[in-house]
Amino acid sequence: MLFALALAYAGFAALCLAMERHHGEVFGSRRIPPKRRLALRLIGWTLLAASFPACVASWGWVIGPAAWCGLLTAAALPLVLLLPYAPRIAAGFAPVAPILTGLAALAARI
Amino acid sequence: MKHGFRQSMAWLHTWSGLLVGWVLFAVFLTGTVSYFRPEISLWMRPELHGAAPNPRAAEVILAELQRRAPDVPSWNIQLPTAHNPVATAFWRDRTAERGFRLIQMDPRTGGELSARGTAGGDFFYAFHFQLYSMPPLWGRWIISFCAMFMLVAIVSGIVTHRRIFADFFTFRPRKGQRSWLDGHAILAVLALPYHLMITYTGLVTLMILTMPWAIMTNFDGQRQAFNAAVFGIEQPGPRSGQAAPLTPIMPLLDEASRRWQGGQVGRITVSNPGDANATILLAQRDSERLSVSRRTVIFDGTTGAFQSAREPDAPADETRGVMYGLHIGRFGDGAVRALLFLCGLMGTAMVATGTILWAVKQRQKAGALSRPGARLVEILNVGTIAGLPIAVAVFFLANRLLPVDLPQRAEWEVRCFFIAWGIAALHPLLRRHRRAWQEQLWTGAVLFLAVPLVNAATTHSHLGATLRAGNWVLAGVDLMLLVFGVLLGATARIVGRSRPAATPNRAAEGRRAMPALAE
Amino acid sequence: MARSAAPASERLRILGILSRTVAALFGGYAAAALASVCLAVGLPTSPAEAALTGMMASFAVMTGAVVWVFAAATALRAWIGIAIPIVLLGGIFLLLRMGHGA
Repeated sequence: MLFALALAYAGFAALCLAMERHHGEVFGSRRIPPKRRLALRLIGWTLLAASFPACVASWGWVIGPAAWCGLLTAAALPLVLLLPYAPRIAAGFAPVAPILTGLAALAARI
Repeated sequence: MKHGFRQSMAWLHTWSGLLVGWVLFAVFLTGTVSYFRPEISLWMRPELHGAAPNPRAAEVILAELQRRAPDVPSWNIQLPTAHNPVATAFWRDRTAERGFRLIQMDPRTGGELSARGTAGGDFFYAFHFQLYSMPPLWGRWIISFCAMFMLVAIVSGIVTHRRIFADFFTFRPRKGQRSWLDGHAILAVLALPYHLMITYTGLVTLMILTMPWAIMTNFDGQRQAFNAAVFGIEQPGPRSGQAAPLTPIMPLLDEASRRWQGGQVGRITVSNPGDANATILLAQRDSERLSVSRRTVIFDGTTGAFQSAREPDAPADETRGVMYGLHIGRFGDGAVRALLFLCGLMGTAMVATGTILWAVKQRQKAGALSRPGARLVEILNVGTIAGLPIAVAVFFLANRLLPVDLPQRAEWEVRCFFIAWGIAALHPLLRRHRRAWQEQLWTGAVLFLAVPLVNAATTHSHLGATLRAGNWVLAGVDLMLLVFGVLLGATARIVGRSRPAATPNRAAEGRRAMPALAE
Repeated sequence: MARSAAPASERLRILGILSRTVAALFGGYAAAALASVCLAVGLPTSPAEAALTGMMASFAVMTGAVVWVFAAATALRAWIGIAIPIVLLGGIFLLLRMGHGA
């Protein structure tokens, strides 16, 4: 469940970095190379999509989809609140969180 | 009226939201709290905290009911769950005070548990959909009316906010009016599926009251015929007069669980207990299904033979069941309800930021000379947005502090709630606006932080004990109260630090950012 | 809001808003109720199913009606726009009723 949340957070963070304003806050330049923009968008949508099966895995087909909608909200809120105060931390957290929670989920299964 | 579709929708959004904003705030807040209704009810009855679940609870309770109430038409039993380790039994009894008996039972011994008089979490629940102390029908009509305004405000808000995707992640703090606008938009957009879902499904839960015309036409005004067709409420057969013992219950629970692919029984209804014509109806737990239309199975009460099963399969009925289920959020585990709770808080904050945004904008336009209408909105804002949390905290404190044997104790708890709210509503009349906000927010913060302390002083199930025992149901309520206290305190600090009025160029900036809303 | 406008036009504006509010509340409710009974009578499912579908859909109809009333260019157009569907739905309902009653 935390893994699904982390995936959604990372997905939103990637989509957000593909926007000029937020790219500027994190990398210092509002100009995004077109290839990087495309890559960020692809990664973002893929991660958001990947959080769906992760939700279904933890809650099943009946409750999983409803939980996914709520989880997207819960993932986006901390990102939005963190961005104006600490944009680099908000973005840096994105690749770390899925790895940590993924490992924790694996460890719990073993 | 105005020029252009977006302008007229901005106008509609402003007024449909503002006019009923304070009712909506109260409904959102009490509804959000009601996601944890069973937990709060348990927390408010410390006398029951010793109860522990028992896998054979059904057997123990049926044996006890056989002893206590052998000759009644039926028994209704709610089995204990992880959130609520106490079993509840209900049966008709003409000699009882209200014509029925409702008791709480220890799942290990079957003994009746008596607790202090309290409305518990049911108070917030009843306030949420019928405004508690109002005549219920009036309360429900008012709430449906306000929910309709909410739906209109959401739809017109979506139209007004044309930069939904461009501003998806944008929050600019410490910028006066623009921060309020950003905050309002973010709370609305991030939880938009939730807001639409909760408002529409809320209307659907009360539709039999507010939109009965389809039933009138199709069933010639016969509500009972409709109820029988939709809810499958079947009358049990007559008693035979021949005594016969009940069949053991545990094998039936296993059989039902097998039919539901592992689903658990949540409720048992025994009709004609002790008679040869007895039947046993088992219904699946709410927490396992999205829909509230129940899956049930009926057995013969003496032989245990399978009689019939009901699987909700009619599409419209199932849609209604799912809408209802989504609204009351009894499905899923604690994590799902925590997500719903978070979304509910965002909805509450969305309504609050909306009404505050209106007041901030009026101040900026009129400067220090605020018009009476704007002043009224400011007073209502403080009295509701800061005042209602104070009343909630007072309700929790009253539960612990009022004498346990006070007559009409449950009513007094509710009175404390309304007295506190009344004082909070009058207080901003006497104070300057900013001071009123600060004083009420700090009061709320202190009261919320005080609840776990008072709990520790008056009961044995305080955080020190519940955390060590891993009792997350009770510890969760205390922790949530602490979080609320910290949040209110943080808000009070922000209000105290922010500058009295935004400078004019910032106001102009805000207006440029959203021309449609700046009127 | 044009607060500097002359009192007469201000009064006209307020009257316009009041009249639209009446159209939205009562006209919108009437349209929603008629839509629900039309679905209840017209849908080829069981009476209970058809009634439930009509009732659940009615709130969307009401929202649409309110949006229309406040989006129309003039109050008169708003009233016409809400009256036409009400008359149409009423006619459909009567026709369906007769079809069933025969």
